[in-house]
Amino acid sequence: MKPAPFDYVAARTVAEAVEALGGTGHKAQVLAGGQSLILEMRLQRVRPDLVVDINRIRELGGMSIEDGDLRVGALVRHTAFESAEVAPGPLGTLLSRAVVNIAHPPIRSRGTMVGSFGWAHPASEWCAIGVTLEAVVEMTGPDGTRSVAAGDYFLGPHRSERRPMELITSVRLPLLREDTGVGFLEHRRTGFCFAQVAVAATLTVTDGAISGARIGLANCADRPVRARAAERSLAGADIGPLPEGARLPDDHLFAHAGRIAAQEDAAPVAEPYADVEYKRQVIAVLVGRTLLEAAADQRARLAVREGRR
Amino acid sequence: MARWARREDARLLTGKGRYVADIDVPGCLEAAFVRSRVAHGRLRAVDCTAARDVPGVLGAWSATDLPDLPPVAILDRLSKDDAVAGREWPALVKDRVRYPGEALAVVVGEDRYRAEDGVAEVNATIDPLPAVVTPSAALRDDSVRLFDGLSNIALRGEAGTPVDPSVWQDAAVVVEAAYRQQLLMPSPMECRTILAVPEGDRLTVWAGHQMPHRLARSLAASLRRPADRIRVVVPDTGGAFGSKSAMFPEYLVVAYLALRLGRPVRWIEDRLESMLVATRGRGQEQTVRLAADTEGRLLAYELTIDADAGAYPHLGVTLPMITASMATGAYTTPHVHATVRSVLTNTMVTYPYRGAGRPEATTAIERTMDLLGRRLGIDPVELRRRNFIPSDAFPYETPTGRRYDSGNYSAALDLALRTLGYEKWRAERSRRHDDPDALPLGIGVSCYVERSGGEAGLLHEFGSVEAHEDGTVTARCGAASSGQSHETLFPALVAEALGVPETHVRLIEGDTDEQPEGVGSFASRSAQVAGAMFQHAAGLLVQEARERAAESWGLPVDEVDWADGGVHAASGGPAATSLGDLVKATGPLRVEDRYETSVAFPFGAHVAVAEVDPDLGTVNVLRLVAVEDCGVVLSPATVHGQTLGSTVQGIGQALYEGITFDDVGVPCLASGFLDYLLPTFAEIPPVDIRHTRTPNPGTPLGAKGAGESGCIGAPAAIVNAVADALRIADPGLLQTPLTPDIVWRAARAPGHGEGVR
Repeated sequence: MKPAPFDYVAARTVAEAVEALGGTGHKAQVLAGGQSLILEMRLQRVRPDLVVDINRIRELGGMSIEDGDLRVGALVRHTAFESAEVAPGPLGTLLSRAVVNIAHPPIRSRGTMVGSFGWAHPASEWCAIGVTLEAVVEMTGPDGTRSVAAGDYFLGPHRSERRPMELITSVRLPLLREDTGVGFLEHRRTGFCFAQVAVAATLTVTDGAISGARIGLANCADRPVRARAAERSLAGADIGPLPEGARLPDDHLFAHAGRIAAQEDAAPVAEPYADVEYKRQVIAVLVGRTLLEAAADQRARLAVREGRR
Repeated sequence: MARWARREDARLLTGKGRYVADIDVPGCLEAAFVRSRVAHGRLRAVDCTAARDVPGVLGAWSATDLPDLPPVAILDRLSKDDAVAGREWPALVKDRVRYPGEALAVVVGEDRYRAEDGVAEVNATIDPLPAVVTPSAALRDDSVRLFDGLSNIALRGEAGTPVDPSVWQDAAVVVEAAYRQQLLMPSPMECRTILAVPEGDRLTVWAGHQMPHRLARSLAASLRRPADRIRVVVPDTGGAFGSKSAMFPEYLVVAYLALRLGRPVRWIEDRLESMLVATRGRGQEQTVRLAADTEGRLLAYELTIDADAGAYPHLGVTLPMITASMATGAYTTPHVHATVRSVLTNTMVTYPYRGAGRPEATTAIERTMDLLGRRLGIDPVELRRRNFIPSDAFPYETPTGRRYDSGNYSAALDLALRTLGYEKWRAERSRRHDDPDALPLGIGVSCYVERSGGEAGLLHEFGSVEAHEDGTVTARCGAASSGQSHETLFPALVAEALGVPETHVRLIEGDTDEQPEGVGSFASRSAQVAGAMFQHAAGLLVQEARERAAESWGLPVDEVDWADGGVHAASGGPAATSLGDLVKATGPLRVEDRYETSVAFPFGAHVAVAEVDPDLGTVNVLRLVAVEDCGVVLSPATVHGQTLGSTVQGIGQALYEGITFDDVGVPCLASGFLDYLLPTFAEIPPVDIRHTRTPNPGTPLGAKGAGESGCIGAPAAIVNAVADALRIADPGLLQTPLTPDIVWRAARAPGHGEGVR
């Protein structure tokens, strides 16, 4: 398949890009990494009249820590997150554990985190993490700049609060406290394909009890979902000794939380090789295991801190 | 381990390969096809008018616009006459769409972009009909018929004779099961390609192809032109796996248009197009019945096959007869009966795909052997050993009509178990069985008998060896490589036979002008048939050289010896000359022949160790051992590569590859390889490849086929390992591909066995 004819603009500044997006009534698409857009154009499922290439806009290339947030510019490639040093503390760990699940190295070398927010695929790892951490999406349009909380941003498959004439310039992710442990697990059929289910979790533990829990689900609904009912089930719980072995006991609180996430928080959409019943099973199992991973991460961080003392 | 370094690699790995898409022909037009979005329906109208107005489009035609466009000709008894009768395959749909993606019209443009822009402007009106995409659906009494007034059953066949009912009644144990061998896609890296260039009164056709001579004959017959007016050339070809040996409708349209327009026309199938309309492999619904005595000695085996032939009767109609005739497997079962119904469905035609009929046979018997072993409480390895055809029983006539040439089945299994460390893994399996927190682990065995070289009528190859004045040698043959190392292997064989340096021998193949007759490359026949032909032809050249030297020296022929690439008098002395000097002195020296071999039966054993996560259904293959006996191994590196690649395709069948269909029979493949999952590098477990060596008694070279064994043996080993890990009593729960949802459901099915919570 070849793309249908389209016009192409290589913007040099955000203002130029926004002007191109809004200026002419074009059906326009933004090209950053192009790892989804180019494929969709080849399949002619997306037929833009205009492609606005933002790769030459220098101001979008950076990543910085601002006011307790990691601010990720629109041209930061997935591969930048492969090192846990990308952000201080548990956030860097979470991002580095998630990023290896995104397709494969060539795609990670071009695709961008912000592009994932723009594309708003229900299976996107970054979008689920954004919802989990209450990230903020920053956009610039003809009427200026605005910010939308990730929890409000996603409206459905490839549907979001972004208006066609707006450019996402960055995503802000809050840094995580040192007493927080993180986990990210993904279930997919091969290393190449999209997640059937992915789960991000953070656990903050104070004096052995859970003082904060966040659970985000990818591909468990028509958009990324925060598993709030499951989170509530963990509030204040004594974390106790962590089970060993490959399988979490059914009566463990994390397994219990997993079942709540699957039944109450998720709204799975059937796919080939994963009907709703199977997806709920995977969500239950994966949430439990991700929480276990987060708890183990929290213990390990604590041990390091205490070891230093 | 490389005995000969691959000559092809320097070119292919540095981007210097030349494929059909790379051939630069001035004024070449590119074709794109308008594809049906429905699986089955009556075509009311196709309107190409708007497409013709698209800039850069040179023309657009439906079948109505091309009344003299011929249908697909099926030569060489590829199908059965009575299966084909009344079921014509038009090159463009005339009145009835029978598979999704079937070509409704063709557009040619200055480039592929223009052609596709034209395709987007073609309007077709189709009244949908119900679609049937499985044999069982097409066999129902109330099923829609693909051809009005004709049965959906295109062929009924059998191998062996019916088993007397008393055998089943009297047997100590009888096990039964039903298996589905899903439709698979061959998925070569390069999809189908053709470039047709009219030159004077001739047409040169470039195609990535396995059988250039048959393509030339098919095009000539269809286009009603003398065969010598069509030349087929096969340049570098990016894989075939069986899928590139036919004259497809698109090929016919492209050749037809090139002649009609008097201009070169090319079609490069893209990936999504290929996934929709390239040939499928496998596609069988099987039931089995196996009887044994209390000691596990096999008494009778019955296999029934309802095979998905696809929408038109082609080679896929007779292909399942290979499964039937190979049903016996590696065992001395006295009574074996296999029956076949080849059923037309609304899917693209089924066609040979690497393994072609044998993976289906092997999987059926090998899964059933494990079922029997579990029923009798006999270790699956021990059960097989009790029933192997003994190594002193060859040649062995099977009840399903095969004459196995040679074999030593227990030696292959022993080597596989030794390589694996069977006892160590058995202990680990037991340990995990007793630990409720551990992931269950299973060991699966699969012993296969292959058939290589081809079937009667296609067991020969043509070729020649020609010596030149400068001492170099040109070897020609009718084969065509799509990844079988011909360029390395064949010159090396000729060089070895002549005693000249390998670098002095050059291969020309895949060109019907260079080699007027040829058969091709399929059925793992490169080394076995063409290789043996070259050894034979080199011998003829030596003989001719000795005769010439004898004549010029006035000696009897038996007093002229051949050594080190030249002739000399046996008595010694000054009478000696090199091959080049002999050509200079006596004129052109070229021998050619047709060389016939017999069918061979390679064999081997695969053992897989798999860990299963019962909560998610994930299968993790920890180890795979593939022992293959392909007779004499000529090029270890080539055989290793063939075995590994084929084994990976077997892993694909077992765990990943499959097509789902929507409610109206259209495959869910809109996102290509995100919908049809091939195993990637990350999914390939450690694979140990070993060989036993039982030479082919049918040729002096002793080689048997080596290209297909991996995908024949691997699937059943993996499925058996999963069944073993979960102690699945009902094999019907485990239908391939064993996707996580399938395995999870099997693991939690009631009564599946003890020990898995």
